[in-house]
Amino acid sequence: MDHTGFIFAQKISTTKNFLMEDSNLSYQDSLRIINDMIHKAKRSFHDTGIGAMLWGSIIAFCSLVKLAELRYGFKLPFDVYLLTLFALIPQIFITIRERRARKAKAYDDHFISFVWLAFGIGIFLLSHTLNVMFANWSPVWKEYEQLAGKEPAFKLSEYTASFFLLLYGLPTFITGATYSFKPMLYGGIFCWICCVVTVYTTVQVDLLLTALSAIAAWLIPGLLMKKAYDNAKTKAATENV
Amino acid sequence: MFDALDPILHSQLRLAVVSLLISVREAEFTFIKEKTNASAGNLSVQLSKLKEVGYIEINKHFKDNYPQTMCCITPAGISAFEHYVKALQSYMQP
Repeated sequence: MDHTGFIFAQKISTTKNFLMEDSNLSYQDSLRIINDMIHKAKRSFHDTGIGAMLWGSIIAFCSLVKLAELRYGFKLPFDVYLLTLFALIPQIFITIRERRARKAKAYDDHFISFVWLAFGIGIFLLSHTLNVMFANWSPVWKEYEQLAGKEPAFKLSEYTASFFLLLYGLPTFITGATYSFKPMLYGGIFCWICCVVTVYTTVQVDLLLTALSAIAAWLIPGLLMKKAYDNAKTKAATENV
Repeated sequence: MFDALDPILHSQLRLAVVSLLISVREAEFTFIKEKTNASAGNLSVQLSKLKEVGYIEINKHFKDNYPQTMCCITPAGISAFEHYVKALQSYMQP
């Protein structure tokens, strides 16, 4: 018996209750079991990435269509951003299906779902506030144009993207940091960089940066999550054969 | 003086179950079975023991017409696990 083994044997003899059922369960075994199980639990949670891909695609698509409208002078009969409301329907189905498929609930999931819920409410409130601001600003704009004979230098629309990008970055950054998922963490930071840049750029550039932010923050991380999810699923299936 | 190790937790499968449940909010029976590689019968017995001492809670209900057993750790279970780890640490110190 080596020195460490001897000390350990002495320690064991100091307690009567140490060896009760698993007489061959040493403290190293106990630590290994604890470590293994905690790691197994951590590795069990893989997001499908479908929700992230859906929103990344929708926001990028809407921004690019809006950009095309401004750039090429055509106008769709409806506001393309209304598509985001329709995207809520598949999102609800995706969330329900993913929750049903999960055999265990992580502590982080509960927290993150509330972060994204708060984000959704924040986006709705911001959209409402901006709509009211535009409605009130419009008569002032027209009056200024009539009196001065030129457009006012201040255009509210040039700043709206910054507010949205600020909000886009928040849940993305928190999710990336909580799950230690760097693509999303960097995606969140990218949204905030674009938030600063869009303060100084035209509406067209703002829309392009919004599309790029949606791709960087959600579409790319979503694709990577999907790949990791598929790999984990294949691995689990192989292990269970 | 070394702390006595909790005999309920000082069992391979029960320790694995509690270690797993400490990492999640709640887990299905099938999830625990899959992660611990235990047989359904043995796992049921060990879960019952953990429930008897109040370390875990077991809730049974139906999901899509199939019975579903959900397990979660209780505050007493968390406290027991913490004491167990502390006791282990005392054995590890030179």
